[in-house]
Amino acid sequence: MLLDYDRMGWLRVALLGFTALVAGFLLLPVVFIVLLSFGSSRWLAFPPPGWTLKWYQELFADPAWLNAALTSARIATMTAILAVAIGLLASFALVRGRFAGREILRGLLLTPMVLPVVVFAIAIYAFFLRLGLGGTTIGFVIAHTVLALPFAIIPIATALEGFDKSIEDAAIVCGASPLEARLRITLPSIRIGIFSAAIFSFLASWDEVVVAIFMASPSLQTLPVKIWGSLRSDLSPVIAAASSLLVGLTLALMVMTALLHRKFRT
Amino acid sequence: MTHPFLSIRNLRKAFGAIVAVHDVTLDIPRGEFLTFLGPSGSGKSTTLYAIAGFQDPTSGDVLLEGKSLLAVPSHKRNIGMVFQRYTLFPHLTVAENVAFPLRVRRRPDADVKKKVADMLALVRLESFAGRLPGALSGGQQQRVALARALAYDPPILLMDEPLSALDKKLREEIQGEIRRIHRQTGVTILYVTHDQEEALHLSDRIALFKDGRIEQTGTGEDLYLRPATDFVAGFIGNSNFLAAEHLGTTNGTTTIRMTDGSVISGVRANGTFGKGQKTRLMIRPEAFSMERSPASAELNVEIVDIAFYGERRRIVARIAAGQEVDIRPTSAMQSQDVWPCSRQVFFDPAAAFLFPA
Amino acid sequence: MDETVRAVSSRSRVAVMSVETRRNFGTVRVPAGLNGLLPALILIMLFFVIPVLALLLRSVTEPEPGLQNYAALLGDGTYARVFFNTFLVAALVTVATVLVAFPVAWMLAIMPSGLASIIFGIIILSMWTNLLTRTYAWMVLLQRTGVINRTLMTIGVIDHPLPLINNLTGVTIGMVYIMLPFMILPLVGTLRAIDPMTLRAASLCGASPFQAFRRILVPLSLPGVAAGGLMVFVMSLGYFVTPALLGGTSNMMLAEMIAQMVQSLLNWGLGSAAAFILLVVTMVLYALQLRLVGARRTSGGI
Repeated sequence: MLLDYDRMGWLRVALLGFTALVAGFLLLPVVFIVLLSFGSSRWLAFPPPGWTLKWYQELFADPAWLNAALTSARIATMTAILAVAIGLLASFALVRGRFAGREILRGLLLTPMVLPVVVFAIAIYAFFLRLGLGGTTIGFVIAHTVLALPFAIIPIATALEGFDKSIEDAAIVCGASPLEARLRITLPSIRIGIFSAAIFSFLASWDEVVVAIFMASPSLQTLPVKIWGSLRSDLSPVIAAASSLLVGLTLALMVMTALLHRKFRT
Repeated sequence: MTHPFLSIRNLRKAFGAIVAVHDVTLDIPRGEFLTFLGPSGSGKSTTLYAIAGFQDPTSGDVLLEGKSLLAVPSHKRNIGMVFQRYTLFPHLTVAENVAFPLRVRRRPDADVKKKVADMLALVRLESFAGRLPGALSGGQQQRVALARALAYDPPILLMDEPLSALDKKLREEIQGEIRRIHRQTGVTILYVTHDQEEALHLSDRIALFKDGRIEQTGTGEDLYLRPATDFVAGFIGNSNFLAAEHLGTTNGTTTIRMTDGSVISGVRANGTFGKGQKTRLMIRPEAFSMERSPASAELNVEIVDIAFYGERRRIVARIAAGQEVDIRPTSAMQSQDVWPCSRQVFFDPAAAFLFPA
Repeated sequence: MDETVRAVSSRSRVAVMSVETRRNFGTVRVPAGLNGLLPALILIMLFFVIPVLALLLRSVTEPEPGLQNYAALLGDGTYARVFFNTFLVAALVTVATVLVAFPVAWMLAIMPSGLASIIFGIIILSMWTNLLTRTYAWMVLLQRTGVINRTLMTIGVIDHPLPLINNLTGVTIGMVYIMLPFMILPLVGTLRAIDPMTLRAASLCGASPFQAFRRILVPLSLPGVAAGGLMVFVMSLGYFVTPALLGGTSNMMLAEMIAQMVQSLLNWGLGSAAAFILLVVTMVLYALQLRLVGARRTSGGI
C-alpha cells in the first residue's frame, strides 16, 4: 500500500511534511535573494532595516553590467541557433539512421555533457590561445555550442523517437516529397522538442561560468563572469539585484515553456 | 493485349540473409478487394510495402497497367494507404489532414474544400472537421485516415492491418464501413490482415501467405471449402486432422484406413499418395453430424464433454488413438444426452480432405 | 548554470527514455543517414576531441617528456589530500542527496497532480536559476553573520555562530542543493513505473509497511537510485563553481586545483595531468552509469 496515496495514513503525513521542507529548502535561496535585493542594508542584514531600489539603480548605472548582459544574450542566442540547427540534423541521423557505430557516435556527441567542464575549459582555452580565438565572440560561441549540443540533441532526439515514422510515410504516400513531408509534418510534430532544445542550449550558454572565466578578456565579459568577479571581491547587494533579474528571466522562461506546452498539447 | 490492372511479378525481398518474400506473383483486376492473409512474418506486409514503395524488392516487379512502378518514388505513385497505427498528422485538424494530399498536389482551394467535404461525408465525420486528431477515438482516427487516403482518388488503396489497434466491436463497425466505401468508390483495395474472419468478411479474394510465398489464392469459399494445402485448411476455419493410412485410389475414389481400423472411401485427395502412405484426414468440426445419412462415413468416438455455445453445441470427443476431435454438429444433440458415452458420429467423405502426414 | 543544465537533460533523457519508445519496423528506408551528422561531428572533433587530446598530450610533454607530472601528483601528500577531499565531498553529497531525494520523489510519484505540479515548479525554478545566483544566496545565508546563524542564535540553539561556510559543511549544503533536482526527477520516473499492485500484493501477503518498503519498494527502485546516485557522484567529482565559492582553502577539490594550476601557476603539465586523472575517473564511472541505465532499458523494467 506504500504507493497508494490515499491509504498511507501517518506515513503520508510524515513524507508530505518532509517534502514540504525540501521544497522550502529549494525555494529558500531564490526567494531570499529577491528579498535581499530590495533590502537597504549594504551589509546584507536580514530582515533588512528598510526597503529600497537603490541596488537596482546602482546596477543600471554601471554600464559594465549592461554590457555583460548584452554580451551574454548575444552569445547565448547565437549558440542556441547553432546548436539547434546542428542538433536537428544530427538527431535525424541518430534516430533514423541504421549504421554501424551509431551508439558510439551518439555517445561521442553527448560527451561534452559528461566531461567535467573544467577539463574542457582549459583545453579549449589553450587551443584558442593558439588559434587566436581567445576572448573573441566567435570563440565563445564555438565553445558554448560544443557544450550546448547535447542539450539540443537530447530533447530533439527524444521527440523524434516518440514520433511515429509511419506518419511521415503516410505524408509521402499522400504525395509529399520526402523533404516536404519532413518540413510540413515531422518538424511541426516535434516542435516541443525543438523549443526545449532552444531553451536548454540558450541556458547552457547564458549560465555558463567555467569556460567563460577562462575565455573572458577585459573587453569581452559575459554576465556570469561579471558576477563571478564581483562575488570574489565582495558580496555587494548589487549582485542580489542582478540575480533577482536573472530569477525573473528564469520565471519568464518557465512560463513561456508551460504556455508552449499547453498550446501544443491540445 | 490487355494488361492486368495491377500485377506483381516474381517479387522477392531479402533483408541480408533473411528472406521475407520468396517469390510472389499475383494479378489483381481493377476494383477488386484482395486480402493478403497470413501469420506474422509471412511476407504479406513486406509485399504491401514494396507496392507502396517503402521497400525496394530484391528482384521482381510491380506493374500498374503494364508499367513498372519500381522506378517511381513513393510520393509519385499516387497510391492511397491506411496504416496499422493511427498516422494522422497530430498538429493538423481533421479537415487539414484530409486536405493534405490535395495541398501537396497544389489543387485549387475550391476543389480542396469540396473534396474534403465529400470525403468527410463518405466516412461520416462531417461534424469533426475542425477537431485535432488527439480529440478523436481510435475508430474515428482510422476513418479520417481512410478519408485522407481516398481524397486524391488513388486507383489503389493499401490497408496494412488498419483495424488491429481497435477493439472487437469497433472493428466490426469499421469493417462494414470499409465494405460500403469499397462499393461506393470502386477503388481497388489491397488489405493486409492476420485475422481470417476479417479476411473472409471483407474480401472478394484472399491470397494466403506462408513463409514468403502465396499458399493459395481464391475466394473465401474456395479457401474454406477447397483448401489446397493442410496449411490453408488449418489457417482458415477450424479443422481436425486425423491420422489415416492411404489404401489406394482407383477411378478417382480414394480409400483410407483410420487408426481404429475402419475403412472410408470417397474422401478428397489433395495430391497423389502412394499405397500405405501415412496421411492426415482433415474434417471441419461442423462437417460432423450426429445422424446417419445415406452417403456418410462413420467414426467411433467417445464423447468426453459437451458445451453449450449459443447457436450450436461443441462436443469434445476422443477417437481410439486417443486424439481429441472437435465436433460442432448443426443438428445439436438433445440436452438430456449424457456423457461420457461411446457412440458413432458421421461425416460426408466428400467434405473430408486427405493431406500428406 | 552550465553544469546544472548539463545534467538536467541527461537525467530527463533517462526519464523520457524510460517511457516506452515505439519501434518502427518494416518501413525503414534510410535517407543517407550519415550526412546529417557531419556538422556535429566536425564541431565535436575539431573543438572538443582535438583540444582535449592536445591538453592530455601536454601532461606527458611539459615541462619535458615523461611521466614526472603524474609521479608528482600521485606521490605528493598535498595532492593526495585534494584527491581524498574530492572523493569525500562527492561521496557525502551523493549519500545526502539520495537520502533527501528519495522521500520527495516517492511523494511526487503518487501525489495528486495539482500538488505535484507545484513542487515540480519549485524544483524547475531552482534548477533553472543561475548557478552563481544560487551560490551567492548560500554564501550570504551561510556566512558568520548570515540569516541562518542569526536565527539559530535568536532562538537560543547556539551561543556562537557556527562555521557554515568555507568548509565541508558549506560545500555539502551548496552541492546537495544543486544536485537534488537531478536525483529527484529521474527517481520520480522510476517510482512511477512501479505497479502499486505489487505493494498491495505484498501487504496482502502479510508484509508490514516497513517490510514492504525494505523488500519491495527499495529493491524495485534501486536501479534508478544507483544510476542517479552515480550521476550525482560523477558530477560532484568535477564540480568547480560551488566548491570554489563555498569551500575553504583547506579542503580544495580537484577541479579548483586544476584551474589554479593552469590559471595562477601556469603549470600546464601538472594541470593537464590532473585533468587527465579527473577525465579517466569520470569516464569510467559514466560508462558504469550508462550500463545501469542501459540494463534498465533493456530489461523493460521502466
